[in-house]
Formats: sequence, C-alpha cells, structure tokens
Amino acid sequence: MTTFVDPSRTAIVSPRANSLWGFRLIPRIETYPRVLAFSQTVAGKLTILGLFGIGAYYLLPHWKALILCLAVITALPQYRRILLTVSTLLWACGIWWRWTDHPRLVEAGILFILAALLFWLATLFRNSWFGRWPVATLLTGFALLVLLANYLPRGGSLRAVSWDFLTVAAAYLWFIAYSLLDISSKSRDPFTLQIGTYHPLWNWDLTYTPFAKGAAYLRRIGAQNAEQLAVAQLKGLKLLLWSVILDLLLKKAFRPVVYGYMGIPLYADVFELSVQRVAFPWYVGWASLIANFLETMAGFSIWGHRVVASCRMAGFLVLRNTYRPLASRSIAEFWNRYNYYFKELMVDCFFYPTFIRYFKKRGRWRLFAATFVAAGFGNAFYHFFSELDYIEELGFWRALDGFQSYIFFTIVLAVGIGISQVRDRKIANSGWIRGRLIPALSVTSFYCILSIFDHYLKRYPIQECFRFLAHLFNLVS
Amino acid sequence: MERKTAIREFLRNLLARKGDTHPFSDETSVLLSGRLQSVDAVELAVFLEENFGVDFATMGFDQERMDTVNAIWSLVEESSMLGK
Repeated sequence: MTTFVDPSRTAIVSPRANSLWGFRLIPRIETYPRVLAFSQTVAGKLTILGLFGIGAYYLLPHWKALILCLAVITALPQYRRILLTVSTLLWACGIWWRWTDHPRLVEAGILFILAALLFWLATLFRNSWFGRWPVATLLTGFALLVLLANYLPRGGSLRAVSWDFLTVAAAYLWFIAYSLLDISSKSRDPFTLQIGTYHPLWNWDLTYTPFAKGAAYLRRIGAQNAEQLAVAQLKGLKLLLWSVILDLLLKKAFRPVVYGYMGIPLYADVFELSVQRVAFPWYVGWASLIANFLETMAGFSIWGHRVVASCRMAGFLVLRNTYRPLASRSIAEFWNRYNYYFKELMVDCFFYPTFIRYFKKRGRWRLFAATFVAAGFGNAFYHFFSELDYIEELGFWRALDGFQSYIFFTIVLAVGIGISQVRDRKIANSGWIRGRLIPALSVTSFYCILSIFDHYLKRYPIQECFRFLAHLFNLVS
Repeated sequence: MERKTAIREFLRNLLARKGDTHPFSDETSVLLSGRLQSVDAVELAVFLEENFGVDFATMGFDQERMDTVNAIWSLVEESSMLGK
C-alpha cells in the first residue's frame, strides 16, 4: 500500500484552486539543469553538505555524526548500503546504547544475534508456522515476554535484566518486523544489509517507527546514478529548509501570537481544569484544543521532515512523512498524509496479512475488517508496547486499564477510516468550496475532536475525555 | 496478450479515476511512485484474484510485484504455473 499522491494528480478541481495549491515557497531547484549539473560536482556536493550541515546544526542534536556519515556515503555511493550498516552499528553500539542511564550494549548485541537467528529460521523454514507468519509470531512473542516480565518479583536482578533487554527489543521490534517481511521478496537482502535499516542514520532519534520502511523499500528507492543522487540530495536540502522555516514560524510567530497576544491557554492546562472541575468558558476549550491540534501537527511535520531530509541526503528518494494533511478530503486520506511511515507500518504488518487471508467473500467488509485490524488493533498494540516504562511501573493490567482512552481513540479512528475507504471514492468536479474546503474542514474537525482521546503519554480516565468533550458543547459547567 | 491488455486497462482506469491522465508504459511504477494509493493497491489485488485467480495468501503480497504492468504480468504467470 503506497500512498502520497502528488496534488497535481489527485482531484479534479477548479483551475483557480489548482493555481493556489501550486504555489511554491521553495522553488523546484532539482529541476534546474544548471543546479543539477553543479550538484554532481565535488564543489556542488560539498556545498549541499555544508548547507545541510547548517540546517542540521539548528535542528539536530547529533548533527556532527550525521554530516560525517553523509559525507562518506556521498563520496562512496556505490557502497551506500554497506556504509549504512557500518554507521548503524557504530551508532547503536558506539553511541546510542552508551547514552542511556546505564549502558545496554550487551542487550543490543544479544538482540542483533536474536534478530539474525529469526531471519535465518524464517528463511530456512518458509513453510512452517513461523515462516508463514513471521511478524505475527514476533509480535506475539514480544507481547508474551512483556507479560511474563511483569510477573517477575520487583527488586530482583532477573526483573531488571529482563526489562533492560525488553527496552532494547522494543526499540528494534518494528525494524526486525520489516526484515522478516522482506523474506518473501525474491531479491531479499542478506541480514548484514538488513541490520543497516535498524535505526539507520536518519532514524537515530528514538522513534520506534521505521522511516523509509525496511530493506525492501530501500532497495527500490536508492539513487542509481549521480543525477538521481543529486536530485535526492537537493530535495533533502529543500525539505530541511522547509523544516527550519516551519520551526521558526512555530516558535517565533504561532506560539507568541496564540499563547501570548491572544492569551489562549495551553490545552494541557485547560484539560487539567476540566479534571479538577474548575469552570472555564466553552470557547476557551475549543480555542486551546484547536491551537494544540495545529501546534502538534506542525511539530510533527517539522520532526518528520528532518528525518526524511536526512534519508534523502543519504541518497534515497523517499516520500515525505507528512504531506499537507489539512488538504485531505477524507478521513483515510488524512491518516495517509499525516504520518505516512506509521501508516505504512500498520498496513504492511496488519492490513495486508489480514486482507489477503480473511473475509475473501465478504466484499467491502473485507476492506473494512483489514482496515480495522491495522488502524485499530495494530495502532493500539504499537503504542501500548512502545511505553515499557509505564507497563513496568504500573504493571501490565493496570497499564492496559489506563490505556482505555487511547483504545477508544483507535476504535473510532479505525471505524472512521474504514467507512471512509469503503465509500464511493469518485471525485466530482464540484468546485473549490464543495470539492475541497468543506471536506477538508470536516476531516480536520473529526481529527481535532478525536485528539481529545489521543492520550498515550499522559493518561486520563476515559470519563475525563468525555467530560471535556461535553464541556466543548457547553453541556457541563 | 489479451490478459496483459486487461491489466494495462485496469491500471489506466484506476489512474484516470484519480484524475491522473499522465502516460505510462509497461515499466512505469504506479504504486511505489505514489501515483496509486492503498485502496487502489487493494482494488488491484481484488482484480487479480477475481480475473486471474491469483492467491496472495500463497504468493505473498509484495508491492514490488504489483508496481508495473510487466511485474504484474510476471506475477500472474507465476500464479498460473503454481495452479497447474
């Protein structure tokens, strides 16, 4: 399931709308022959790396290591994938797992060996249960290990060792899943190259979502010649610049205006007022919710852009993670445009396996069921098991109980996306207001209101979310 | 060759429904390039199941093998060989 569509290829809307959406703040320099030719020279490559370094210095904490790796990969593009493996291992074992409160190098080493073993077993026994269901087995095994670790006596060394290992395993879980998915490919990479996709240099922040997916995708999108590399790097540079602009707009304009000049309180504070039963006007609730929704979206875009920009600089022509979500005309399209690589992960690990095996005679229910498994169950599974500290502290079942508002969030989201997908998708030439503005506003409103339940970092009982929702419509004081 | 034409026509219709009338050859990427979306990939899968008897549960769902007309054709041929 691949998604993002160039806006020029999507809807048939009025010419005026197209001209508006076609405006570009940053020109398409990768299409300028002179720029493209210069970018393929040594001076051009150094200029791009230098400019990228300035942006990375502003946005990324580990910019020196990143630029160093990018310089080597740029100089030796024919060894790109091998260099990716080397830089990934150096980062993981040389820096990353040393930075944690106590080094977890042994755990990381054991995990890599285990991942290699799983890869080898799934390849060798393709017709076994594990060979046919490698990702389901991996995820079930991980969930069971977390459940078992939960029952180990507190204060014991076995519990400490187990949770240390599980923390490292959680960080790599979805990367390993992509490796196992690659087993069915005819042209699959050996494990030595697979490991280069386990938190590669653009994925060095501790996100558990594999950006640019796995080895199968990287094989297909790697620049094949000097011109493609130049295009990828110029697009990476542009995206980083866009990320810097958005970051400046957020920090220097949006926040001072919204929270300073307009005096809109922070959403977290207003929600807390609701929890504490302190009265506040309903419109303040709306204002803080909308401000928080927009700020979260902008922050998420900035973060995703810099990750994708780094990936493009390494020579991979990847799609953006966030692409004009506010222009979405359906719930499914928004989910696709907002967090593309997370959606792809859910699709690859949950949607396709369900779709190709179950409900084959059920028509549209087949699509709905697969969507529900991906956007509902998969989404909840991912977020629940990405917070092991929370599970370790509260215990498995209490943590699950505290997760109820997020489970509700995923259920409503899944139903919304499911209905959106099975509806007739024909696009009428209905003008800008009916064809684009009203659908976009409706979709954005749906996600904005639903974000009340999107608590997976700080959890509130679901009743509090419903109470806040009622407050927005002035149904409670 | 008629079957290949049917695949080509199906893709052309899918793209046209999205307002994409750009030309494409038998080697043009339609999925991985982002010209088609998730739901389109699913529609394509259903089309191949219903018209050519492709069983993705057996063949696996590899996007690379559904990315171009030629790749899809190769998938269909392999599926036919497995069915014999």
